[in-house]
Amino acid sequence: MLTVSVISPEKTLFEGTVASLVAPAYDGEVGILPQHAPMMTLLGKGELRLGPDGADGRFQIAGGFLQVLNDSVRVVTENAK
Amino acid sequence: MAKGRELKRRIKTVENTRKITRTMELVATSRMKRAQDRVASARPYARALGDVIAGLYSPDLADRFPLLRQPAQARRAAVILLTSNRGLCGGFNANLIREARGLLSRLRGQGTEVELHVVGRKGIGYFKYVGQPMATQRTDITDRPRADDASSLVDGLMRDFVSGALDAVYVVYAQFRSAISTPPTSDRLLPVQPPTRSGPLPDYLLYPSAEDILTELLPSYVRNAVYRALVETAAGEQGARRTAMKNATDNATDMMNTLTRTFNRARQAGITQEIAEIVGGAAALE
Repeated sequence: MLTVSVISPEKTLFEGTVASLVAPAYDGEVGILPQHAPMMTLLGKGELRLGPDGADGRFQIAGGFLQVLNDSVRVVTENAK
Repeated sequence: MAKGRELKRRIKTVENTRKITRTMELVATSRMKRAQDRVASARPYARALGDVIAGLYSPDLADRFPLLRQPAQARRAAVILLTSNRGLCGGFNANLIREARGLLSRLRGQGTEVELHVVGRKGIGYFKYVGQPMATQRTDITDRPRADDASSLVDGLMRDFVSGALDAVYVVYAQFRSAISTPPTSDRLLPVQPPTRSGPLPDYLLYPSAEDILTELLPSYVRNAVYRALVETAAGEQGARRTAMKNATDNATDMMNTLTRTFNRARQAGITQEIAEIVGGAAALE
């Protein structure tokens, strides 16, 4: 499982564990599964889907970055809904 | 008993004032609670951003980022002063203004030209009164600041800094240490002082590259610093108001006690005198 937190300047929007996630990276969507290598990527505009088919939550985001380290994922963005 | 009536009237006035200050104290307490929560919930973002920038930054990159540019001599600087829109919060705004004036005269002493950006009716009122020109005046930021308020405040200044029209940007705000400690503080926003790294960075895959990520995130970092200053000042204002109104309520209580005591003494004196007169009159009849 992945420990995910979605953080905006005003508050933490999501905190929990999911099986997988799909995020809109700057150059197209990127899927993250457990055991992913440490990674940092800029995010573009699009939908962040937590869990299979976005079952655990969906956010519209624009910009920011995503960080993966030891099965914990941080999505940090100024624009998230 | 003319004096008694006069005293009664004053007791009534103080009592009414105390009702108002007590209410304001309660309102400020509940607002402060919520403002404090906002300060706390802004922390994870700041930490996440700080971590990443500290991880990616290395001193040899400094020349390549306009926001990290270190001018040899600051010719023009901007100061953002955050104050509150409302008064009745003790020395809160006066302290902020004093801090800003100190910073202004320090910068001017170094031969820097300074433009002043003031947020909040209280600060604007003061600088209008002393006749100091302000570059911008804003009163539209509520006691629930949003991230957008921060970007509208600082984005223009970042552009000016990048183009070289400004060499430094400072912010003067109330740091929220606790409900009773909100010292006025001045921080330098630009050039950005990257946070220091603690320990080595794990071997990250970076997309597109460290440089591009930094280019994207440095402005966010500056905006976030302003956002934090805004929420801390908002929380500090409520804290200061609570303290001020608590003191006012306590003083009103003291005053009421003294006045009530004076009133009772005057009433008792009147009664005693009346009895003495009656006794005197009866004695004269015998």
